[in-house]
Amino acid sequence: MTNAINTNYQSFKFNQRIRRIIKFGIILGLITFGYWTIIFLDIPIKRMLDMFGPLATMLAERVFPPDLENASSWKVFISVIETVEMSILGAFYGTLITIPLAWCAAWNITPSREILYPLSRSIIVLCRSLPTLMLGLLLVSLFVFGPFAGILALAIGTIGFAGKLMAEQCEAIDMGPVDAISATGASPLKIFIYAVLPQVKSEWTGIIIYNWDARLRGSTILGFVGAGGIGLHLRHQISILEYHATLGIICIIVILVLFSETLSHFCRKWAR
Amino acid sequence: MIQKMAGHINNPLRKRNVIIPRYIAYGIILVIILGMSAHLIVFGTDWKRMSSINEVFETLFSFFPNLKFIPEIAGPLFETTLMAFWGTLLAVILSIPISYLAATTTTPSMLITFPLGRAFIVLSRSTHEIIFALIFVVALGLGPLPGILALACRSVGFMSKTTAEAIEACNQGAIEAIKSTGARKLVQFFFAVVPQVFPIFLGNAIFQFDINIRRAAILGMVGAGGIGLHFSEQMKAYNYDNAGACVFAVVILVILGEVISNRIRTKLIAG
Amino acid sequence: MVLLKISNLKKSFQGNEIALRDVSLTIENQEVIALLGLSGSGKSTLLRCINRLTEPDSGSIKLENLEITNLNKRELRKVRAKMGMIFQEFNLVNRLTVLENVLSGTLGVTSLWRAVTRAFPPNDIFRALELCERVGISSQVEKRADQLSGGQRQRVGIARALMQNPTLLLVDEPTSSLDPKIGREVMTLMCEVARERDIPLLFSVHDISLAKDFSQRIIGLKEGEKIFDKKTSSLDDKSLEQIYKIESGNSLLTSESVN
Repeated sequence: MTNAINTNYQSFKFNQRIRRIIKFGIILGLITFGYWTIIFLDIPIKRMLDMFGPLATMLAERVFPPDLENASSWKVFISVIETVEMSILGAFYGTLITIPLAWCAAWNITPSREILYPLSRSIIVLCRSLPTLMLGLLLVSLFVFGPFAGILALAIGTIGFAGKLMAEQCEAIDMGPVDAISATGASPLKIFIYAVLPQVKSEWTGIIIYNWDARLRGSTILGFVGAGGIGLHLRHQISILEYHATLGIICIIVILVLFSETLSHFCRKWAR
Repeated sequence: MIQKMAGHINNPLRKRNVIIPRYIAYGIILVIILGMSAHLIVFGTDWKRMSSINEVFETLFSFFPNLKFIPEIAGPLFETTLMAFWGTLLAVILSIPISYLAATTTTPSMLITFPLGRAFIVLSRSTHEIIFALIFVVALGLGPLPGILALACRSVGFMSKTTAEAIEACNQGAIEAIKSTGARKLVQFFFAVVPQVFPIFLGNAIFQFDINIRRAAILGMVGAGGIGLHFSEQMKAYNYDNAGACVFAVVILVILGEVISNRIRTKLIAG
Repeated sequence: MVLLKISNLKKSFQGNEIALRDVSLTIENQEVIALLGLSGSGKSTLLRCINRLTEPDSGSIKLENLEITNLNKRELRKVRAKMGMIFQEFNLVNRLTVLENVLSGTLGVTSLWRAVTRAFPPNDIFRALELCERVGISSQVEKRADQLSGGQRQRVGIARALMQNPTLLLVDEPTSSLDPKIGREVMTLMCEVARERDIPLLFSVHDISLAKDFSQRIIGLKEGEKIFDKKTSSLDDKSLEQIYKIESGNSLLTSESVN
């Protein structure tokens, strides 16, 4: 056995030992952390495990089968329409605001790096950090119960979601046409329209469709806090403990989202 | 021949053929949007009960965060983070077998296990976490555990989908080489696939943890633990300054989480 | 003792592409055999059928008198462990170190637990390190596989195949992804280690000079048929023309194929 082999062997074994210790440490740490979490959060493990038993019977009796009669009733259908409309309007108006905002939030083409850039970036970050449901409740108390608040909440969600993606697309463009157009002395707006927009148009279409899909998911739930859509029925049925009807509403929601997902998938493919 | 081409290009009729349908489409979309706006905003909103502009501003200012409330919600904030952590971890663990089933290159049976894996993914990604939380709260009662389970169910879809895509994009040659030494399928998976997929997997896990903080913040509103419960309680009691403090705390938490997770992920990609 | 006996091997792919038409060959002792032929002549398919990475449609393959074509998965794995394969694209696991890649040669006989935890027995590690020294990559042992050059990666591939203590080496166009000079170094190394271990080496190639310089026996394939199977020394121009003649009657001999 040569010297080289010996050194290599020792080194290999050493590295392996260190890796093992780290992995073991992580697992041990996680287990301890988990144990501590259970205590800290006061999770009654035993009681919950006990509940899993009667869970099956409860599911069979009080939840299944879903109440499809209620789910296909006229008022639920109306609220589905409302949900979809809300998502479209929220996405639409949100996108209108997001387009100029994304332009300002792109480092390479923003018309003002000192003011508009940090401002628009902050607005986008802020809009992204507010959970939609919280926002919905806030807006309902600010304005009025109903889809108005929901549309606003979804529009703000759009700014946060699509704004970031669109700004990133702007930052990835080829600056050649931008330089060319600005060399003609054009205003920043003209530069945007003639040099930037043609390049990002197709990616942005994809983002807009993707955003609508995400807004639709949010709109199905916003009704829970009174901001319009089918979520209201969900809350209602749960509050009166009608679990069959609740499952029915959940089925409608899931079908709606599945439908929108397929639709947006195909639209994005077609847009390419 | 050239004259024919020039005539073709400058033909005003041809221009109209291309532009008119596009303008018609824009017009239709505009009409639809206006119609929906009329339906929901003009007629669907109870303008009589709408706050006046003054009232709006008054309410808005009353939301200014009452910072004295923050110590009270420090606990729930931490609880929110813990929920996000454990929910993501559970999703990460569950996504390993599901992504194995949902990847065309590793699934044992294209007829049975592949659609099964894909079904899990689709259901997980289509169902809002609030719905999962409602289900688990009904099943297990109030508390953070239903929230953790709800977050796990919601995140499993994304983790499995991206991991399955990473598995399918693996270097097939390396897998074949391991196969030719006589190793069984699982060994091939662990030795040839896992090292390639792991960095993507870890990056996505961190990304999901960040998103789950946002999700965990609202789960409390249906009783599944975290700061959401306190938020809705304060709103119900019209303590808008306290509610504002909750929102403020959540925003700070989310921004912090995003900054930290971005740093870690850039380090992962580099190293 | 007959080491490998292939009889009437047939394989066609979807779309009625016949890759192998009734191919038979026998390997009895240690020798370096070149599978010579144009692209699409069936060389790679033949090699991959031997360890059933590609399933033959019909025919028999016997390794040391054991029929391979009808083995179940478990027995097939045991047989695969006895055959070392070296690939054109090296096929290393890029994120693992050189040593781990060499050790992966033992995965045919390692338990699942060992493979997951990478807990290889010390004997195997020593053997792997010795092999690394033999193929000349001792200094790169700790490096990740994707930090190596092409020639170094192929050496790792050789070490991995040797780790299996194989009774037969199957080599699929080993030099096609390498510079000519490096390719020759690698070929020399492979023939040396095959000779040292007294095992036959079967390699597919489309470069005639490599075939002539390194093999003792040449098997020529054309459009899935074996048309030549003799000692390398008896490869004459007429047989070469047979191998390289295309249907239209044009021969590639006058162009760059003979270098």
